[in-house]
Amino acid sequence: MKLRLALLTSVAFAGVATTAPAMAQDPFRIAYLASSSQNGYNQAIYAGIQEAAAAKGVEVEIFDGAFDSTKQFSQVEDVVAGGRFDAFIVTPNDTVGIAPALEDATAAGITVVATLFPVGPDLTNMEPQVPGLTTTVAANPAVGARAQAEAVAAYCADKDPCRVAVIIGQLIYPFDNLRNETFKEVLGQHPNIQIVATGEGNYDPDASLTAMQDILQANPEIDAVLSNADQHLIGAEIALSDFGYDPGSVYMIGGGLNQITVDAIRAGTVAATLTEVPHSMGKAALEAAVTTLEGGTAPTWIDPFDLSVTPVIVTKEWLDANPDFTAEWQG
Amino acid sequence: MAELQAAAPATPRRSKFALGDFLREYGVLIIIVILMIGLTFLSPSFLTSRNLLNILNQSAPLALIAAALTLVIISGGFDLSTGAIFGVASVSAAWLAVNVDPTLGMIAGPLLGLLLGLVNGLIITGFNVHSFLATLASSMVYRGIAVLITGGALIPVRMEEFAWLGRGRVGMVNIAVLILLVFTVAMMVLLNRTTFGRRVIAVGGNEEAAILSGVRTKLVRIACFGLTGFAAGLAGIIAVSRISMGQPQAGVGMELEAIAAVILGGTSIYGGAGAVWRSIAGVLLLALIGNGFNILNVNPFFKDLTTGVIIVAAVALSAGKKRR
Repeated sequence: MKLRLALLTSVAFAGVATTAPAMAQDPFRIAYLASSSQNGYNQAIYAGIQEAAAAKGVEVEIFDGAFDSTKQFSQVEDVVAGGRFDAFIVTPNDTVGIAPALEDATAAGITVVATLFPVGPDLTNMEPQVPGLTTTVAANPAVGARAQAEAVAAYCADKDPCRVAVIIGQLIYPFDNLRNETFKEVLGQHPNIQIVATGEGNYDPDASLTAMQDILQANPEIDAVLSNADQHLIGAEIALSDFGYDPGSVYMIGGGLNQITVDAIRAGTVAATLTEVPHSMGKAALEAAVTTLEGGTAPTWIDPFDLSVTPVIVTKEWLDANPDFTAEWQG
Repeated sequence: MAELQAAAPATPRRSKFALGDFLREYGVLIIIVILMIGLTFLSPSFLTSRNLLNILNQSAPLALIAAALTLVIISGGFDLSTGAIFGVASVSAAWLAVNVDPTLGMIAGPLLGLLLGLVNGLIITGFNVHSFLATLASSMVYRGIAVLITGGALIPVRMEEFAWLGRGRVGMVNIAVLILLVFTVAMMVLLNRTTFGRRVIAVGGNEEAAILSGVRTKLVRIACFGLTGFAAGLAGIIAVSRISMGQPQAGVGMELEAIAAVILGGTSIYGGAGAVWRSIAGVLLLALIGNGFNILNVNPFFKDLTTGVIIVAAVALSAGKKRR
């Protein structure tokens, strides 16, 4: 009896196994490999992915890279080995180191889409640098940095000297190094502009507060603060206020376009920020992955600036003209 | 005369011993003084009251944790969850301040820290788990709670009733610095002038002997972890009040900085010996390095290298004391 039951069960499983590939109506399964699932920016990307997935009838899961490139590399290997997913969307922690794992994934027939940064040795090249990589939804970090620096240069046009403090994330990150070099290159073209100090904010308001307090100690007169991240301006603004500056008297420009900064720009304490649209990026990434899975041809590069209703640099003037605008992430 | 001749060689030996002992005791202070002299010559902005008070204010949260952590390490324990407690206490305080009441948020932060610290102590003593592993695990749980509270996003707390703690001053001195001063003195008295302090040293020095002497070692260890949790919670609300912003990632890596400061201050990682004031000096040494880099606008690429070299120099000066 037991033997017969076992045989029947085996036959039943075999039947399921053989019919499974024929079930064309099975939804696609897509993994989102976040650089950190606990990060607000990554969560906004995932929210965009989920919204598009719901519209397309696709199943998605998020994996937490915990801001750890080694962990994310292992996740790619595990997800490829698990065979449960038709596609990956990845926000890389290490844009260079993750490439071999993604090559293995594409070789295994998995569709791969990169968001936020391109994968490969050249951060300025948005075309696929990994064989088989379908689409990159990212902006060249130098383009945004150039726009930010040019905004500072425009503000400084009538000031001589115009003293600028730069608060960068961390110079050990290649993308932050590229941004910092771009800042220096653009501002260096204007003899009236002096970069009086460069501090590291580590994407942390508290670290930025400390850096800005120390910078002000050595350079009490500051005309502008140029930063790649909105989080840095939170600390910079507090340091400036504590030092005796009126809010808004120093030109402060950040990056990220989160709601906290939008509110600060409207209140006049921050001058401008660089547009970023994580929700739209996630949505576009999922749509590109599904297009490829369905046999279509997705664009190799989607520029996030094209997905946004906002200008590259968002100012109070623009926000005043668009009072109903809300940012795609809180901060 | 013969007695004098016989006694003569003893004098230089004593002074050599005293010098070595002095270096071991005050190694971290010596490095601080050297750094301060160097920075004073390199930058006119360094030796100003405003900058020195800034350094103290910036260091206050880490120093609070290091002061209490000294007792945990002297008792033979390790706490890797202080950064996570700092994070969860700060976002809880921010959330409560925004959604309920700013004062309640302020009170809740240290109390939550105390509770989480006690939980650490109970896990360690109740399940007989090594504190290193127990607090590594609990740090993940606490960090997870912080993320759940915030959903990974920042919580702005732009309220005067909340900002006074981190940004308020009495005269020129920040309230956070005064809190640090009071807390440090309290920890020093607790460690050096009370029965509890002697028990902490006894537990870390030789737990078996302490048990045989009638010391309730488990209670002592639980209390130490409770104190550290309280300090991490207090540090958390000071930091969140200072930047008017709760952030789930707050305090990441802070636990290692606090441990580094305590060890830098000459407290034995094997337990049984140490001093609270030297841990504070360890924190200040780390802060001075950061301050110097920012003031001199030195390429941050050299910061880790310099920090490492200075830490090795300070630890080398006090190395003899820690060998057991």
